[in-house]
Amino acid sequence: MVTKNSADVVIVGTGVVGVVIAEQLLDAGHSVLMIEAGPRVTRAEVVENWRNAPLGVKGDTSVAYPSRPWAPHPMGGEKPEDAYLQFTGPDAYDQTFIRYAGGSTWHWAGTSWRLTPEDMRLNSLYGVGRDWAFDYDTLEPYYVRTEHKLGICGPSDRSQQWPQTGDRSAPYPMPALPFSPGEVKFTEVVKTLGYNNIPVSQARNSGMPYDGRPACCANNNCVPVCPVAAKYDAETALHRLEKKGATLLVDSVVYKVETNAQNKIEAVHFYDQHKESHRITGKLFVLACNGLENPKLLLMSQDDRNPNGVANSSDQVGRNMMDHPARTFTVTTKEPFWSGIGPVVNSGIMETSQGAFRSEHAGAYFRYNNFARNRFVTFAALKKGLVGKALDDEIRRMAACTADIVAAHEILPDPNNRLTLSDKKDWLGLPKPSINYDVGDYVRKCWEVYSQPIGKQIAEAMGAIDIKISPKYNNSKHIMGGTIMGKDASNSVVDVDCRAHDHENLFIPGGGAMAAGACGNSTITMTALALKAGDAIVEQMRGA
Amino acid sequence: MKTVKSFALAAPLALVALAPAAAQEFSKELIEKGRYLATASDCVACHTNHDGGKPMAGGLAMASPVGTIMSTNITPSKQFGIGNYSEAQFADAVRKGVRGDGANLYPAMPYVSYSNMTDEDINALYAYFMQGVEPVDEKAPETKLPFPMNIRVSMMGWNLLFRPNEVHKDDPIQSDEWNRGKYLAEGAAHCSTCHTPRGVFMQEQKSLNLTGGQVGAWYAPDITNDKVHGIGSWSKEDLVTYLKTGKLENRAQAAGSMAEAISYSFQHLTDADLNAIATYVRSVPSANAGQASGVTRFDKGSAGNDMATFRGKNYADGLKGDHAGGQIFAANCASCHGYNAQGTKDGYYPSLFHNAATAGDNSINVISAILNGVDRHTEADHVFMPPFGDQVNAVVQLNNVEVASLSNYLLAQYGNNKLTVTPEDVQVIREGGPKSNIVQLARIGMGAGVAAVLLLVVGFVWYRARRKARPAHAA
Repeated sequence: MVTKNSADVVIVGTGVVGVVIAEQLLDAGHSVLMIEAGPRVTRAEVVENWRNAPLGVKGDTSVAYPSRPWAPHPMGGEKPEDAYLQFTGPDAYDQTFIRYAGGSTWHWAGTSWRLTPEDMRLNSLYGVGRDWAFDYDTLEPYYVRTEHKLGICGPSDRSQQWPQTGDRSAPYPMPALPFSPGEVKFTEVVKTLGYNNIPVSQARNSGMPYDGRPACCANNNCVPVCPVAAKYDAETALHRLEKKGATLLVDSVVYKVETNAQNKIEAVHFYDQHKESHRITGKLFVLACNGLENPKLLLMSQDDRNPNGVANSSDQVGRNMMDHPARTFTVTTKEPFWSGIGPVVNSGIMETSQGAFRSEHAGAYFRYNNFARNRFVTFAALKKGLVGKALDDEIRRMAACTADIVAAHEILPDPNNRLTLSDKKDWLGLPKPSINYDVGDYVRKCWEVYSQPIGKQIAEAMGAIDIKISPKYNNSKHIMGGTIMGKDASNSVVDVDCRAHDHENLFIPGGGAMAAGACGNSTITMTALALKAGDAIVEQMRGA
Repeated sequence: MKTVKSFALAAPLALVALAPAAAQEFSKELIEKGRYLATASDCVACHTNHDGGKPMAGGLAMASPVGTIMSTNITPSKQFGIGNYSEAQFADAVRKGVRGDGANLYPAMPYVSYSNMTDEDINALYAYFMQGVEPVDEKAPETKLPFPMNIRVSMMGWNLLFRPNEVHKDDPIQSDEWNRGKYLAEGAAHCSTCHTPRGVFMQEQKSLNLTGGQVGAWYAPDITNDKVHGIGSWSKEDLVTYLKTGKLENRAQAAGSMAEAISYSFQHLTDADLNAIATYVRSVPSANAGQASGVTRFDKGSAGNDMATFRGKNYADGLKGDHAGGQIFAANCASCHGYNAQGTKDGYYPSLFHNAATAGDNSINVISAILNGVDRHTEADHVFMPPFGDQVNAVVQLNNVEVASLSNYLLAQYGNNKLTVTPEDVQVIREGGPKSNIVQLARIGMGAGVAAVLLLVVGFVWYRARRKARPAHAA
């Protein structure tokens, strides 16, 4: 029985990882209780938050998701000392994520690149980083299940699919979306350089309804929110889970994972928004609060049996924090390109992420951002002092004749890229996370000898009359590595099913488990790991 | 009561005696003819659970004002379907509403319309159902209506009064096309089941044929040739286009049961038959005909929006003020239908002005489209508007106050500005249309020995039972 304070399985977090596992368990007949730190809001409210926001603050997608005092998440424009995330080291691990029911897929682009077989054997093939604990063929069926669960569209032409190596055992459930005019032109341009710009496989209903959600109607508003739920986000699953019997607690901030004498997990403790503490018991526990909150919670939960924190006998919890450090080329062209029709990310060059060079430096993935440009160019046009028709014309010209090309880099797991508990406290008195971060020589060398030259070459081929390059590495919000997976319990946190080496009834699935993240966005792999963990949990519960 | 007894005795005997009847082989041509007629009759719409069920195996829950009716397995399964039916038994089920075992069907099955079918067509349908449909050896869930609705024999009296007993005969004055159209429209296609209002005993009021009626959560509008209230302003080609595609740009689109009729039935009919149906329907006059000219439900309203009143303010504040409807429209509708409700050029997303749904004589379809969305498959596309009711796949689960505000905004801005909607109106549609207190009345009535009440009750049972109790998850 599920009650307000106990269930077979207790899941902390209501993002995509938590909801796919919850559904597997509910379908297998287990009771599920989910605990969400933040609020539950309607899509209408998020959409209008965004539309009501003045243009000047729209650089920060979080304006659509104001954080609650008890569940802070990064908000733009905060003073460093007031910010939720604290940084040390040469680079800032300045991510955005959302502590809301439904989690950060609320504002993901939906991009769903699989890893390649080579990405998962980085150490064996190139002598750098870590190998995954299993190979691509093991993960492949879970990729297929993810593509069907989330509704991921993609090309049926094998030459346009990613990865090119490694088998695909089932087609995408929906066809790829068409390219915008700018993407068509970009694809032609890079072809002359020998690069193949292929359709993004993406969790978006292309040309048809899927899973009770409507077809994409090209609002070009995927980030910060799909206004019609044509893009998968985990919020779209919540009512279905409740109908299947899940209990969902919101505004409930889990701050401690409690172990028992056998060093199994006995309970989790949370504060409600009135700062009152509650205790939830269960047979099995899943931490699915993202790659930053999971290690924070484990470190906060240290006890006599687990002096480094729960699940941390390896001292790897919070280490190896990864992302896809990105540099942007803002290109002004003579001829119009026109981005903005269709999804905000709709194509990419992935083949530049692969190669023997990976023994020396990172690979990179290049994408032509398909965000409509008017939002980005309007202030520049205003600064020119134009008014009336001249202003309109200039906005139109710049919307057509500017483009962002992004190079997203592969980073290696480095134990010094580390999340620890800051001595600064949040509203509830809980420690804020502090992250020490350095993108590393592997990335920097790539930028110097590989990705920057390629980016410039592409920009020139586009007919650039001006190229502006972002001065530092931007974060891609792909939080990986902090609860890293491995076969060896002495240097990893979770096993091949995302089960904590130290606690047989604790699972920590998601991006934190990824031992290598290559260049593609992490959600599809996080979800595949969640489904794999879900299978293992169902199996384990059979004996419980 | 005597009749009933003899029926009950005869039924098992008939089953045994006629069991081998289906052993004969039907020709491929006959089976195909039957398949077409079954499509024209839209059997599959009700006799299939569209949430994963097998074709014709029943199990679709259909809400009626007096309880949920489950459709039956009409595959040739001998154990669970109609595999043991003789042709005569099959004919009686289709045309008279009498089951193989002699029990009466509820008129959720439109046998009142099917009663016009010729013996030749019944023969073809029988051939198809015996040898063109895959038998499904699965028991469909039983219909369990509350007392006294569960007494099927009471339908016999109703049938005596209201069931036609004659098959179609051509009217020699009319063209062949008109006669073919009448045969299909009044029979297989059963237009009047939804589009004709009901009388005291819930019988179709033939004098008001096709002048419109409520079908559960939806309203089947006037489709007579009245130029103002009906579809007299449509050309024959317009009507054929509508039946083929489920929409007529800047005028109307099919939702609810009509979307199903388009998806499963009309779009698959031949052009000749669609033209015939159009020819006949366009000849049906309105008994209500009043004014000769006026603004129709197809050309009311204009583009516009209310954004200046709330944009830039807080969403919650916007919901509290006088412009809540415009705010709800902007948040939930404008992303597809356009900020001015102008729709898209290709018509996939219709404009909300010049649209019968927002400009009818009542607000039922406005409310129902919001709560239930639209789901229509045609050869060209799969039109899907997600629901905003309490379904698990609702994009937003709007409450009654919000739906009322939104409806009033749509009506005032884009449609029939003489109508207003209250939260109570929304609740009625949310529950699947007007509920009846007839069960309670009938129980009291029977205590007093008033048989007439029972008759009334049973009439209500099938009252627009075509409104489906949709599975909440529409995938």
